Amino acid sequence: MNIRFIASLTYAYGITAMARGPSYLVAEIALPLSLLFMVSILSQGSLVVYAIIGGFIALVASNSLSSAGDAAFWRIQLRMQDLFVTTKITRIDYMMGLTLSYFFGSIPGIALYIMIGLAYHIFTPFSFIVLLCIMALVTIATSSIAFVVAGMVKHIRNIWGIASLLSIIMTLLPPTFYPYTALPSFALYALAISPVTPAAILAQSAFGLIKPLNYGLVYAMAALLVIETIVFFALARHFTVWREK
Amino acid sequence: MIELLNLKKRYSDGTYALKGLNLKLEKRLTAVIGRNGAGKTTTIRILSTQLEPSSGTARINGYDILKDTDAIRSRITSIPQEASPIGFLTPLEHMRIYLLARGMTFKGADEEGMKALKALELWKVRNAPTDTLSGGMKRKLFVAMALAANADTVFLDEPTTGLDPLSRFEVWSAIKQLNGSVILTTHYMEEAQQLAEEVVLVDQGQVLERGSVNSLLSSFKGKIRVEMPEGNRSIKMQYRIGTTRLSYVSKKKAEEFIAMGCTVRPITLDDLFIIHGVNLNDEAEGGEDEY
Repeated sequence: MNIRFIASLTYAYGITAMARGPSYLVAEIALPLSLLFMVSILSQGSLVVYAIIGGFIALVASNSLSSAGDAAFWRIQLRMQDLFVTTKITRIDYMMGLTLSYFFGSIPGIALYIMIGLAYHIFTPFSFIVLLCIMALVTIATSSIAFVVAGMVKHIRNIWGIASLLSIIMTLLPPTFYPYTALPSFALYALAISPVTPAAILAQSAFGLIKPLNYGLVYAMAALLVIETIVFFALARHFTVWREK
Repeated sequence: MIELLNLKKRYSDGTYALKGLNLKLEKRLTAVIGRNGAGKTTTIRILSTQLEPSSGTARINGYDILKDTDAIRSRITSIPQEASPIGFLTPLEHMRIYLLARGMTFKGADEEGMKALKALELWKVRNAPTDTLSGGMKRKLFVAMALAANADTVFLDEPTTGLDPLSRFEVWSAIKQLNGSVILTTHYMEEAQQLAEEVVLVDQGQVLERGSVNSLLSSFKGKIRVEMPEGNRSIKMQYRIGTTRLSYVSKKKAEEFIAMGCTVRPITLDDLFIIHGVNLNDEAEGGEDEY
């Protein structure tokens, strides 16, 4: 693993990008904040904690999924991927560099959500650590999906629509901003394909929103999230276009 | 030395880009010329390990492109056709990321990067976002990256496409500073003439001719190109390209053709391109015998 390359790409494409184009940050947090606002109003405050916790997950997931746009843009339009293929880095180094760049782009949004969460006194040390672990897994899983999709598109025009669609299907439909119990079981099973679904249920459990706590469900969701992360990462490793055939 | 051994590439749509290319390249700077779709980019992409061949293989300084990929990647640099820098990053940041990807240390990447930017006169813009640079400067940045990489073999795929003449000159002078052997593809015959010790003319995935510029043009010795004005069909010409009709005649007959309203031009590598390109499309008309 080429740590220097990953660090350098993350710094340049994550941190420098934020400093030079702050409008990007506003765009990244606009949707989860709007949903938080909407859920708070519609539920008259009763679901606000769900929306805060879901906001963390939706933020990192939608941000990671939108990396599909850049991965395709770098490959098809800028030809930067071809440039890097002929160096010593592997596709994993390249994917990690872009993924971490996007993760750094989420940090101001995460900080904002932490402040909101503190204002609502929702955190315990345990729930906070669980949330961080969940966000790490969701970042890996959704970035992997983004890279697989980016490798499949033939024309750059298509990727923006696909990335938006994925973001809706994978972050807004799952029970991110509402209790999972509101979902009919067939919908829950269908939405389980998105790593955000087990992530949201786990987070809701960790923050004590599911009462009584169903340990069977917690273990099943934890296992599902880990398995999906491994599977999507393996798929990305296998299917991300690197040396073309 | 680069050896291409029966290199074939068939894309998923059934198109053959390379039909069994056999070639040995030993000169310091070789230009691969050919029309659009001739197989130039496919060849460069296969040689620089970006694309797998359908069959056959190639060796770069003894390393096989299929078996010794890592060894090759640490010894080559390849600048893709129409590569563009990332607009909000600076030349220095591009240089650092690229050289770190090549395995350099932070210190080494900064030192080599700065040296190359100075050598190619990009030092003044080292901290400017690349979307503020001219097209020529952007291309020069990629050549600077290749220079800093200090690779044994450098592949440049159409390095000056779309640039104005002045920017092309700038890029050419940058290419001349590269170390190691250089393989470049180009549409510009003038570029091949300016830079290359050897020229390889490819079409439809096969080598048509190769040699030094002088040897390739030896068949035109003592001749000039005459072009008939559009619409004038009073004289039969050998070739037609669009609405332009042209022939190759003895220099002694130049005055005669000028008097008939023709434009007379000296022979360049363009003419090699023309006679092969036109013949391949069965668009030839007339014959040289008439003169």
